[in-house]
Amino acid sequence: MDGVHDLGGIQGFGPVNPDKDERPFKATWEGRMWGINKGISGVPGWSIDWFRHVRELIEPVDYLTRPYFDQWAQTYGAMLVDSGVVTIEELATGISARPALERRPPMQASAVAAAARSIKDFSRAANAAPRFLAGDIVTTRSMGAAGHTRMPRYVRGRRGRVHACHGAFLVADESAFGREIAEPLYTVGFLATDLWPETGARNDRVFVDLWERYLE
Amino acid sequence: MTSYDRDKVSDIHRHLHSELPSEPALRVKALESLLVAKGLVDSQAVDKWVEMFSDEIGPKRGASIVARAWVDNSFRARLLEDGTTAIADFGYVGHATGYLTVVENTPAIHNLVVCTLCSCYPLALLGMAPSWYKQNAYRARAVRDPRGVLSEFGVKLAEDVEVRVWDSTSERRYMVMPQRPRGAEHMAEADLAKLVTRDSMIGTAICRLP
Repeated sequence: MDGVHDLGGIQGFGPVNPDKDERPFKATWEGRMWGINKGISGVPGWSIDWFRHVRELIEPVDYLTRPYFDQWAQTYGAMLVDSGVVTIEELATGISARPALERRPPMQASAVAAAARSIKDFSRAANAAPRFLAGDIVTTRSMGAAGHTRMPRYVRGRRGRVHACHGAFLVADESAFGREIAEPLYTVGFLATDLWPETGARNDRVFVDLWERYLE
Repeated sequence: MTSYDRDKVSDIHRHLHSELPSEPALRVKALESLLVAKGLVDSQAVDKWVEMFSDEIGPKRGASIVARAWVDNSFRARLLEDGTTAIADFGYVGHATGYLTVVENTPAIHNLVVCTLCSCYPLALLGMAPSWYKQNAYRARAVRDPRGVLSEFGVKLAEDVEVRVWDSTSERRYMVMPQRPRGAEHMAEADLAKLVTRDSMIGTAICRLP
């Protein structure tokens, strides 16, 4: 979707303020939100891409101004309400007005160390040969669909060169809506001068991971 | 059931905006209490996750990988070939490091990592992302004006150095292998690791001797 989350190349934000504070969490609530995210039992139909899409749907002014982990709290809140697990009133008070659903117990502290070493597999066996090979010149489609996509606006309709083909991965655009469809994933390199001609940035390049459906 | 209905979710967001407490700390406290009551979260597990990412998992992991690559050419080659397999020997595979690509800075090439669409970051290798990495200004500008962003971090590159920006748009993650500083040729691996800063592995800093 053409949302404010698609920030690459947007102008007007001013300088980056490098923060010398290297603490992983600047406030207790940030750490709690991170821990909730890692420890929460999933709800059927949730995926990392649904999470990203629900975050993208936060009202633009909130998306641009609210602290990062606060947006996560709002995203989880919206996902939980959408799935019928909690109500808005329960979220506002923190008090459960209905009995918990019968389900398995949540992740226990004793399981955290092992969980921290586990990885989620997003790759799948390819059912067709990739259409493009490293070195091929490709053009990105001019997509502006309303759903979720991982093709940033700033590369739309641009020419690039395939840097690498990684085999088939679950397509984020589908996974966001509960569908498991895999397609070849590529890293495509774009000359900075093809993306931002006015910068005259000589040989600089931007590399973006793109699924096959984004390319032609 | 999950609806996948964007209009419904947008409507929920508007309600949450107006009906939840204004303080993030209060919103998160209410969320945790509610999830514990619903049997979806165990607070001691939350404690443990905070502890893991405060003490055990952080940029010192990435620094040890870089230092090893600086002193061991065969490891360096394996790391650049397949980051995930190489860091598995250290036990660093985990959240967001399942598909790791390590890109090497050289006198001719400087790499910079960003996630313009959200905040993707190799968490199990570098720990929590710095605040600036998640801010609008960095996400917007790293792809368009990387040299300007780098100068704000105090990194001035020669005109003829090629800047490569890596936008983390899939589940693949990127880490920069910074250049070993001049004068560090004879330092031991453990001392070298102390020269490797978090920012140098994102590409916004150069490793220097103390």
